[in-house]
Amino acid sequence: MKQIKPYILALAVTLLAAACDKDFVEVNTNPYAVTSSDPALLFAGAQRTHLGNWGSEHTIVQQFVSPFNDGATIGVNFNADIDLNNNPKWDQSYPGSVRNLVQALTILGNTTDRVNLKSMIRIWKVQTFMGLVDTYGDVPYFDAGKAVTNGVFFPAYDDDALIYDDLYNELKEAIAALNPGGDYVGSDLFYGANSNASTKTTTATEQVAKWKKLGNSLLLRLGMRYSKLNPAKAQTIVAEAFAGGVMTSNADNAYVKYDGSTYVHAENNGLRNFSQFNYAAEPFVDQLKATNDPRARYMIATYFNAGQIANDLNPNTTLGDQYGVPIGVTSGQITSDLINYRGSNPNGGLAYSQINIYAVGSPAAPDFYVTYAQTSLLLAEAAKRGWIPGGDATAQTHYENAIEADILVYSLYPTTTSISATAIDNYIAEPEVAYNPTDALELINTQYWIVNFRNGTEAFANFKRTGLPALSPNLFNNNLGGGFVRRLTYPDREGSANNANFEAASAAIGGDNLTSRVFWDN
Amino acid sequence: MFGYEALLDQQQIRGKVTDENGSDFPGVNVVIKGTTNGTVTSTDGTYILDVASGATTLVFSFVGYATQEVAINGQTSINISLAPDVRALDEIVVTALGVQKESKKLGYSATLVKTDELVSQRTTNVMESLVGKVAGLNITPPAAGAGGSIQVRLRGQAAFAGANNAPLFVINGLPINQDARGANGAGQVAQRDRGDNLQNLNPDDIESMTVLKGATAAALYGSRAANGAIIITTKSGSKNQGIGVDYTSSYTASQALNFMGEIIQTEYGAGRFGVRPATQGIAQDNSHFAWGERLDGVPSVNFDGVLRPYSANPNRLFDFLRTGTNFTNTIGLSGGGANGSFRASFSNSDAKGIVPNNEYKKKILNVGINHDITPKLKLMMNINYAVEANINPPAIGTQGDGPVNFFTRVAISTPLEAFRESAINPATGAEYKTSGFLGTVNNPYYPIQKGQFFNDDRKRLLGTATLRYDLTDWLYVQGRYNYDYGTNFMEWNELNGKGATTLFEGTTGFYRGRYDIEQSESTEINADFLIGGNKEFGKFSVDAAFGGNTWRTEWHRNAQFSRLFVVPDLYSIKNGTNWGTNDANFQPYLYSRSRTNSLYGWAELGYNGIFYLNVTGRQDWFSVLNPKENFEFYPSVSGSFIFSELLPDQEWLSYGKLRTSWAEVGSANGVNPYDGQLTYAINPQFNGQTTSGVSGTLAPNPFLRPFSVIEKEIGLELRLFNNKVLFDISAFDKVTTNQILDVNISNTSGYNSSKENIASLKNSGLETLIEVTPLKKGNFTWTTSWNNAFLATKVLDVGNASGTFLVFRFNDTGNEFLGELRYTEGMAMNQLYVRSYRRNANGEIVVNDAGRLLPTTGATPGAEKTNGFLPIGSSIPKHTGGWNNTFTYKNLSLGVFIDYKFGGMVMSATHLNMTRQGHSKLSLEGRREGETGLVFPAVYESSGQPNTTVVTDLQSFYTDYRGHQIGDPFIFKSDFVKLRNISVSYNLTSLVQSVPAMKFVKGLTLTAACRNVAILYKDLPGLDPEAIQSSGDYRAGYENASLPTTRNLNFSLNVRF
Repeated sequence: MKQIKPYILALAVTLLAAACDKDFVEVNTNPYAVTSSDPALLFAGAQRTHLGNWGSEHTIVQQFVSPFNDGATIGVNFNADIDLNNNPKWDQSYPGSVRNLVQALTILGNTTDRVNLKSMIRIWKVQTFMGLVDTYGDVPYFDAGKAVTNGVFFPAYDDDALIYDDLYNELKEAIAALNPGGDYVGSDLFYGANSNASTKTTTATEQVAKWKKLGNSLLLRLGMRYSKLNPAKAQTIVAEAFAGGVMTSNADNAYVKYDGSTYVHAENNGLRNFSQFNYAAEPFVDQLKATNDPRARYMIATYFNAGQIANDLNPNTTLGDQYGVPIGVTSGQITSDLINYRGSNPNGGLAYSQINIYAVGSPAAPDFYVTYAQTSLLLAEAAKRGWIPGGDATAQTHYENAIEADILVYSLYPTTTSISATAIDNYIAEPEVAYNPTDALELINTQYWIVNFRNGTEAFANFKRTGLPALSPNLFNNNLGGGFVRRLTYPDREGSANNANFEAASAAIGGDNLTSRVFWDN
Repeated sequence: MFGYEALLDQQQIRGKVTDENGSDFPGVNVVIKGTTNGTVTSTDGTYILDVASGATTLVFSFVGYATQEVAINGQTSINISLAPDVRALDEIVVTALGVQKESKKLGYSATLVKTDELVSQRTTNVMESLVGKVAGLNITPPAAGAGGSIQVRLRGQAAFAGANNAPLFVINGLPINQDARGANGAGQVAQRDRGDNLQNLNPDDIESMTVLKGATAAALYGSRAANGAIIITTKSGSKNQGIGVDYTSSYTASQALNFMGEIIQTEYGAGRFGVRPATQGIAQDNSHFAWGERLDGVPSVNFDGVLRPYSANPNRLFDFLRTGTNFTNTIGLSGGGANGSFRASFSNSDAKGIVPNNEYKKKILNVGINHDITPKLKLMMNINYAVEANINPPAIGTQGDGPVNFFTRVAISTPLEAFRESAINPATGAEYKTSGFLGTVNNPYYPIQKGQFFNDDRKRLLGTATLRYDLTDWLYVQGRYNYDYGTNFMEWNELNGKGATTLFEGTTGFYRGRYDIEQSESTEINADFLIGGNKEFGKFSVDAAFGGNTWRTEWHRNAQFSRLFVVPDLYSIKNGTNWGTNDANFQPYLYSRSRTNSLYGWAELGYNGIFYLNVTGRQDWFSVLNPKENFEFYPSVSGSFIFSELLPDQEWLSYGKLRTSWAEVGSANGVNPYDGQLTYAINPQFNGQTTSGVSGTLAPNPFLRPFSVIEKEIGLELRLFNNKVLFDISAFDKVTTNQILDVNISNTSGYNSSKENIASLKNSGLETLIEVTPLKKGNFTWTTSWNNAFLATKVLDVGNASGTFLVFRFNDTGNEFLGELRYTEGMAMNQLYVRSYRRNANGEIVVNDAGRLLPTTGATPGAEKTNGFLPIGSSIPKHTGGWNNTFTYKNLSLGVFIDYKFGGMVMSATHLNMTRQGHSKLSLEGRREGETGLVFPAVYESSGQPNTTVVTDLQSFYTDYRGHQIGDPFIFKSDFVKLRNISVSYNLTSLVQSVPAMKFVKGLTLTAACRNVAILYKDLPGLDPEAIQSSGDYRAGYENASLPTTRNLNFSLNVRF
C-alpha cells in the first residue's frame, strides 16, 4: 500500500494536467447574456436620436438663456466654448444611434428579404449624420461605429462635403429600394405597430409610403442646405425631392412621444432642477408677443418662484406678462442694474419668463424629428426661390399650411387644449405673420425658427443657412468676433482619445472653434 | 537491572514556566540537554520531569520564544519565565502555500508582523493598525466612516488604476482579494465606501501575519502574486494546554480632528456683489456664496425666512458630527490534548461613526482545529464566519451629498440650527432650498430627518480543511479544500424631495425618490494538493514539492428598484409604480463565473546551512483567456547566503545573510469573464415597443492577456552585538508590463474604451529596518525600531502616441472643477495635472486688460498634449516609514509610535470651492478691512507692463480659478508626520494571582491607547492630507469634501482563565 500511493498520486497529477482547461469555453460563456438581436429592434432603439439641448443650440438661436456666469453654467450664452455644451449630440449619437444602426446593417448584410428595414435604417442613418455634420462640420462617417465589425477604434474624420454627397446617394438608393410588397417593420417607432395613433400604419404598403415621404423630406432638407453654397445644386435636389413626394400632413410626421414615467424627456426633465438658471430669451419672447402667438402659452410662462418652478402648478401664461432675458446679460447685471433690467423675483430666481414645463417643457413631451410643418416651410422657401413651381402663391400656401400644421401638433403636448381654427386664422392674419412677397424669406424662416423650438439641431442649422430671423449677435464679449456661433466644437475627449484624426480634422475645418463653418455655411 | 540502576540515579525536578506577562505557560517543551527525554508543561505551566543523575542542563523551548538553558546544579525546583524572541535566528516564517520555513532559507524579504500590536493598537479594520509598521507596506486609511475600507499597497502600485492593486491575502491557506468596495468614488453621485474583506478578521483571532513583500515571495501564487501577499494564520490552540478562556473587551471613542480654522474665513456672510440677501427668495438663491457683507451680527433673513444674526458660525460641521464609538467584545475558548487542539471565539463589535446615522456592526465566529488522527495523518480546519452590517456609510470624497460638502459650501452666516430646524420646507414637504446649489449642496439634516437609509448586510464564510499525511519521515502529501462563500444584501433609498423643491416626479402625480435592493452571492473554491519532501544528504539538503490548485469562482447578483411612489416616504418595491424599467443600463441580474487551474512546484537546495537556492515554477490555465492561448508560466529563483556561518568568531556579528531573487509573476485581474463577447441590451418597452441596443461602453477584446510583473530583489540582514541590533535592508526593482488598460478610444467607434495589454511601469525602492534595544536595565527595557521605505515610480509606456494617459479628469464628473490624474511616460506614477497661471516669455504671470486671470492652454510649452494642463507631481509618497518605541517597566508597557509620509502631492477641490464661493481666507484678498479690490501681482499679457487694474468684482475674479481650472493655489504637499499612537498596557496578572481566591485568573491586562494623537507636521491647511484618499486608485491625490480623520481613545481589557 505504502508503495502504491505515490504512483496513484503521480497518475492523478498527470490526469489533472491533461484536464487543465477542460470545459473552459463553456465556463467562459455567459448563459444569461443576450448574444443576438433582431436588427429591427436595434433600429427601433436608434430612432430616438438627439435633437439638441436647451443650453446650447437653443441658446445660440436665442430662444433660451442661462444668464448665470458663475462658472458651472457659463456657456454658449456668453460665447464660451464649454465641453459640456458641445458634447451631448456627439456623445448620444455615436455610441448610441450610430453604433446600433451600423450593427443592424452588419447583421442584415446582403439580405434581400428585409429590404424595407434596411432602407429605413439607411434613411435614419442619413438623418443622424446630417445633424452631426450640420453641428460639427467634418466628422467620422465612413469608419464610424465599426469598433467590433472592423476593429476601427480611431475613425478618421471625413470631409463634410463628401459626407453630404454620400448622404445624398444613400437617401436616393434607400428610397428607391423601399418596396410596398416587402417586409413590414412593426418595431418602427414612427409608423410601426406601436407608434402613435396619428401616424400608425398596419401594412408594408402604408409604411413604405410614409418612409418614402420621410426620405424625400430629408432629401428636401439636404437640398436646401446647399442654398448658400450652390443654389443650382440645391435647386436640383429640392426638385428631385419634391417630385419624389414629401410629407403632406401631420400624419406623416416622424416623431415619438414620451410617457413621462418609464421614458422621460431627458432634456426637458432638466428644466425643473436648477430652474433659477433657465429662462426664455428676449428675442424669442418678443417675437411671440408681437404676433400674439397662440402657441406661446404652451411654450413659456412665469412662475411664483423662478428657482422652484416645479412647485408652481399654475404658472402665469398670460402673454403680456412674459419677458425674456436680454442676450449677453449676466444675472449679476440683472439683479444689480434695476434701471435696465427686471431684477430678482422676490421669491427666488429672476423676474423673467421660463419654459412652460407642463407643455413644451414637459417630461412627457413628444420629440419631433422630421415634420410636415418643417417640410412645408422648406417648400415655401423653395417656391419663393423658384426652385419648385408656383411662385409666391404656392409659397404662401405652403407657409400657411405649415403654420396651421405646427399649431395643431400642440395638441400632442400634455395639458394643452386644441387651438381653434379661428385662432389659427387670426394668427396667420397678424401683420407680422401674414405672408407678403417682400418679406417672404424672413417670414418663412422666422416660422421655421418657432417650429423648431423643440428641435435645436434643426433650428441652429437653418439659422446658419439663412441668417433668419435677423437676430443680433451676443456682444457679451468679443470671443466670436461679433458674430454668431457657427458650429459646436468637437468633444475635448476626441483631442486625447483620437488625437491624430482630431488634429487633422481641426486643421481641415480651419480650427476647432465656435466660429469655423460647416461647408454649406460659407 | 538497568531500570533499577536508572531509578537509583534519578531525581525529580518540578517547576513552573511563565510567559513574559507572568501568566502560566502551557505547552513548553522541557528537554534534558543532549537527550530526547523531556516533557511538556501542563495547562497551569507546571511540569514534572524525571532526570538521570548525569544530566546537567534543562532546555526550555517554545516556538516564537527564546530557548533557555538552565543548569540543574542539584536543584529540584526550577521556575523560569520565557521571553518572546521575535529575532530568533531560526524564526519560522509561514511562506506561500502555507509552507513553514526557517527564515535563513529565504532568498527574499518576508516580515513577521508583531501581532500583539494588532491588539494593543486596535482599529476597526485590522490592517489599519499596520500603518507605518512594515517598510514597503503603504497603508492609507481613508476617513470613510466606521466600516470603511483601507488602501493597502505593497512596494508601490503595481498596476494602473482599475487593476486590483492590493496584495493577496491568504487566510489559513485560503487566498482572497481585499476587494475594497465602492471605494473609487464616481464624481457627483455619492459613492459610499462599503468596506473590504479585511473587516472579516478579528485581531484577537490572529496568531501570525507574514508580509511577503515581493514577487518571489509570492511567486507560487502565480497570476495572483503581482502585489505580493500577506499570509495570515488564525489561532487554533496548542497541544496539552487544557481548557482556557480568554475574554477581551474594548471601547473606543472617536472625535473628529478640526483643522478648518486654518482656512475658513469669518469676516463675510451670505450674498453676492457685496450685498446680503434682502428677501427669503434671494437667500435661497445665494446663500452658497459668501460674497455678501461684513459680518455685523444684525438679524438678517435666512433661507427659511427667519431672521438670524449675520455672524460667523465656523464650527458647524463639527457641531453636526458626533463622537464615534466602538464597543467590541471577544470571548475565546481554547483547549488542547495530546492529539490535538482547538480554539473557538466569538466577537461582537458595535461601532457608531462620527456622521450621525452611520453605524457598523459585526459579529465574527472563528474556529480552529488541529487534530492528529493518527501519528501520520493530521487534520487542520479553520472556519471564519463574519456577519457585518454597514449602515449609512457616509458619502465622502466627492462633491454632492454629505455634510462636509455642505458645510464647507454654505455661507458661514447661516447657523447650524437653521439647517436643523428648517431642513424640511413646510409648504412643500421637500428639502428647504438652502442655496442656489440645491441638488449638489444638500442639507444633511434632510436625509436624517426624512429617513434616508443605506443598509449593507454581508455574511461571509471562510472555511479551510487540510489533510496531511506523512508517507515517510521525509515525504508528505497534503490536500486542502477552501471554501469562500459570501452573501450580500443591500437596500437604499433616494429620498423624495432631496436636492429638489418638490416631492412630485414631473407631472406624474407620483412621489419622487427611488428604492433599490441588491442581493448578491459569491462562491469561491480553491482545492489544492501538494506532495513534498525534504531530505539531507550529508552537507546537502533538498526540499521539493509539487502541487496543483483549481480556483473556481461564481457570482451572481439580483437587483431591483422602484420609483414613482404612491404613498410618500414609504420606500418599498411594491409602493412604486415603476420597477427599474426606465434605465437601460440597469441590469437586474448579473452573473459571472471563472476557473483557473494551476500546477506548480519548487525545489530548494541547501549546502551546510550556508547556501540555499530555491527555484519555483507555476503554470496557470485561465477560462477567461482566448482558448487558443489560455495559459501562462510563472518562474522564480532565489538564493540566500548566510555568511555569518563563515565568520563564527566575530563577536559583533551574530548573524549575517545576503539574499537575492528574481521572479516573474502576473495578474489576470482586469481580464473579466465574457470581456471578449459582444452582447445586447433589451430596453424597456417604449410605448409598448421593445427596442434593443449594443451593450456596454467597452469594446470587446478577445485577445487580452494577464499582465506581467518581473521583480528583482537583493537584501542584507544583520544581527549585531548579540542580537541587540537588527539591520535589514532590501532593494527591489519591479517592472510591470503588458498592463491592461482601458484605452480611451474615439467614441465615434461606438465605444468609449477598449481593454488593451499596452502599458508598463516600474516601481523600485529601498526598504530599511533597524531595531535596537538601547536600554535594558533591571526591569526597564526600551526597544526602538525605525523602518523606512523609499519608493521611486516611473511610467514606462502608456500605449499611445502622446505619451500621456488620462486616468481621470475630475471635471468630467460633471460638477468638479480641478485637475486631472494622468500617467505620463518618463514621469512618476499618479501624476496630478492642473492648469496654471499663464506666463509670458519672461516667466511672469500675465492677466488680461481687465486684470483678470488667464490659464495655460494647449499652446503653453509642456502642455501641448494636455490642453493646458501641467504636471505638478505624483500623489504617491516617496518616503514612508515609522518609528516605534516600546518602553517596559515590570508589568507596565508604553508604546509610542510616530509615522510619516513624504514626497507626494495633493490637489484640494475643497480649497477651490471655498475660494470661489467666498468661504476661504484666500478669498479675502482684495476685501479685507480697508481694501477696495484686488490688483493681482502680474503683468498685462498685451503690453507686458505691470498690472494696475483694480478688480472689484471679486466673485468673478475668484470664479475664474474654477472656470479656467487654474490650480496653483490649491496644490499642496501631502507630507505629514503623525504621532500615530500612544498605548499603555498594564499586566495585572501577578497582582491578581497574589489574591488566592483569584488564582483561576491566568492573565489580566489593561490597555489604554490613543490613535491619531496629533499631526506633528503637514503642508495641507484645513485638512488631514491622509484623509483625502479613497482606497482605490482613480481619485489618487484628489481631495474633495473629505471627512475629517478622528482621534480615537481606546480602553481594553483582556482576561484569561
